[in-house]
Amino acid sequence: MSKYILNRTFSMVVTLIGVSILVFLMMHLIPGDPVTYILGDFASEEAIVEMKSTLGLDQPLFIQYIDYIKNVLQGDLGTSYITGLTVIEEITARFPITVQLALYSLIIGSVVGILMGILAAVKQNTIFDQLAMVISLIGISAPGFWIALFLIWIFSYQFSVFPISGYQGFYSLILPSITLGLGSAGNIARMTRSSMLEVIKQDFMRTAQAKGLAMIPMIFKHALQNAMIPVITLIGLQFGFLLAGAVVIETVFALPGLGSFSIEAITKRDLPTVQGLVLFMAFLFIITNMIVDLVYSLVDPRIKY
Amino acid sequence: MKTRGCKLIVMLIIMVILAGCNPNSNEQSSGNGDSKSRNTLVISSVREPDTIDVHKTTWVDNSTANIYDTLLKRDLEGNIIPGLAEKYDISNDGKIWTFYLDENVKFHSGEPLTAEAVKKSFERFLQYSAVKFLAGPVDKIEADGQKLMVYFTEPFAPFASGLTTSYLAPMDPKSLDEYGEDFGKHPGASGIFKFGERIRGSSITYMKNDDYNWGPPFVDNKGAPGFDKYEFRFITDDDTRVLEFKKGTTQIMTNVPPNYIKDLETTEGVKIDSMLEQGITYLGFNNKKPMFQDKRVRQAIALGIDRDPLVEFALEGYAKPLFGPLPQSIPGYSEKVEGEAKQKYSLNVEKAKSLLEEAGWKDTNGDGIIEKDGKPFSFELWLSDEPVMQRIAQILQGQLKEIGILVNISVQEPASISANTPKGLHDALLNMYGWSDPDILYMLFGKGSSLRMHYENEELHNLLTKARQTMNKEERMEIYEQAQQFLVEESPWVPLFVRENVTAYRDINGFKQNPYSQSIIFNDITSK
Repeated sequence: MSKYILNRTFSMVVTLIGVSILVFLMMHLIPGDPVTYILGDFASEEAIVEMKSTLGLDQPLFIQYIDYIKNVLQGDLGTSYITGLTVIEEITARFPITVQLALYSLIIGSVVGILMGILAAVKQNTIFDQLAMVISLIGISAPGFWIALFLIWIFSYQFSVFPISGYQGFYSLILPSITLGLGSAGNIARMTRSSMLEVIKQDFMRTAQAKGLAMIPMIFKHALQNAMIPVITLIGLQFGFLLAGAVVIETVFALPGLGSFSIEAITKRDLPTVQGLVLFMAFLFIITNMIVDLVYSLVDPRIKY
Repeated sequence: MKTRGCKLIVMLIIMVILAGCNPNSNEQSSGNGDSKSRNTLVISSVREPDTIDVHKTTWVDNSTANIYDTLLKRDLEGNIIPGLAEKYDISNDGKIWTFYLDENVKFHSGEPLTAEAVKKSFERFLQYSAVKFLAGPVDKIEADGQKLMVYFTEPFAPFASGLTTSYLAPMDPKSLDEYGEDFGKHPGASGIFKFGERIRGSSITYMKNDDYNWGPPFVDNKGAPGFDKYEFRFITDDDTRVLEFKKGTTQIMTNVPPNYIKDLETTEGVKIDSMLEQGITYLGFNNKKPMFQDKRVRQAIALGIDRDPLVEFALEGYAKPLFGPLPQSIPGYSEKVEGEAKQKYSLNVEKAKSLLEEAGWKDTNGDGIIEKDGKPFSFELWLSDEPVMQRIAQILQGQLKEIGILVNISVQEPASISANTPKGLHDALLNMYGWSDPDILYMLFGKGSSLRMHYENEELHNLLTKARQTMNKEERMEIYEQAQQFLVEESPWVPLFVRENVTAYRDINGFKQNPYSQSIIFNDITSK
């Protein structure tokens, strides 16, 4: 196990270096310049040159990258060109909201998705199966902003159950989490259904049925446990997608999270912020998937590292 | 191992949920629902300011301006009047400006307003600000008690306009000393609002300044404003912003999207107020490109554009067609120039075609597109991804096809437009400018500063320079009139319209806006 973790940690470092090079190059190669944003529409050529020199943007790309990585290794992700705050300060202020949103969405998506998947598999080709699959299809295909507005209109505007927008703790994250979680629920339900169908048809299930085992324990103790591996993989991957999906949802619900901030940083070409955020998100994504891989061994004793 | 692992995961999930339920989180409330009980005025806005430190930004609006107070002000007719400076005079050669500061004014820290404090702010402005050109060619600044003297190497008339903006407003010297580079996190000045709290990505809250009693002549309430707290909430999504307002959780909504105005007008208790923006939307040519170097071609394009459909279909009627270079909301606007320009460039497809033909552009192969030396007349039009701009571009594309010109629409990110237009990589640009002084014409067409349209002309440059250096208001405006007439004749761009800045409000009394500072006047607003 410890060797496995060590190997994964090494590959994580390599991946993060790759990500940092990619995002650094992309931000420098796309058209647009942070200096023209900072100085505004009427900046003189001299002011632009001076500002580039102050920010170190007049150095060759390689030198800029090395300087950047040196600072990252010392725990300094840089300072936002736009807000004047350190990127770590920005992440610290906004990350709790985004991670809560992603986690609640994941819980909603997993619980709803797994239950719908089980129901669809157990009642295959019945109205329950069709209904579960239609709901999951809606979850996957309906745009997040549309579901968000629909939920806001009903629960916040008409019935005042939740606030329309803004962050006011757990309560204000319920609607955004449902919105974001519905898409995941659809994916997880479909995966659970197909995985369950495979397991249900296996010999040991027929034996269990012949031995007269009750339906509920048979489904949850024997079938579900064997069907969970692909579902867990999907849940792990969903966490990353939920972090990305938070961009739209945070904008609609005016939540001060990392998603909406990333968009702003990209639009304003705030290089240190974009680089810092992408690196942080990549780190989070890799760690989540590592945890998911470790969870396999908890669910399926046959898997050992 | 299995059970312990599962327990650990469940514990982690519960901890995160409990963190979300933490009652302290609620202290970060954005003010929904209970705003009235706390005597808080909630204003929703689209754009969040990068910082409240006006020396480190090029963007100031209602959400940041009211913490500051300015040495001079613009009244509701656009005249420059005394503010924190009770009076000011300018030497005969226009190079020395002397300000006499109001000795009753106090900063938020309780420190008195002195010339030394203003000098300190000016010097910081000149050191850091990206818009330091607002101050012009300052040579030195001297402070003597309540008397402040600013020396220039050359006369610079737009300085008065600059002094009406928050960029040049005096900052609280105590805050500057205490926080230095971090002033933006703990700003202090002498405005009607005192800084309260900022939640990045969400809101800025101010408290009323209880010591304030130096309100300008154009407000009824010279003292502290009517609410205890003022919360600016930043909601990017139009639908969400409108729903918050209709629900009554925000009392003022700035930048109402045009497609919602009619709906809000019919909503009970809601009032709409609009004012012309201090800037215009224009079609700017890259005048360095060969196809636009012939004046007749530029004039033909101006003649081929019908502004009414732009206003009606792209902006739901919330704009005013414009033919001259300056809108009514900027001093220097001339009815005479606007009339002449309207007469010259009202839609006339036949005349446009004949001008193009005179310039050698003719449809020789019958495909509807004019050619010259075998090359069809087509150009790329750059514009930002704003939906309204895209609709305008589509209408222009259709209109210019009528005179045989093919327009290829190229939607770009604002950062890309800002970086690449000074390099002259574009053919033409659909853009807007915003400024409070006619000196904007120098910034757009002065020698070395025409970064978008690349149009330079000695005669125009001389006029605009002379206007900058003329201290007499009437004389200065006459020069701007000549400069505008020159621009109308030469047509290096096509002014299209000036937008109306629409604000909706409810549950309050005394709402007013100043079109010449593009700001809400909070002094007189009270709860209903």
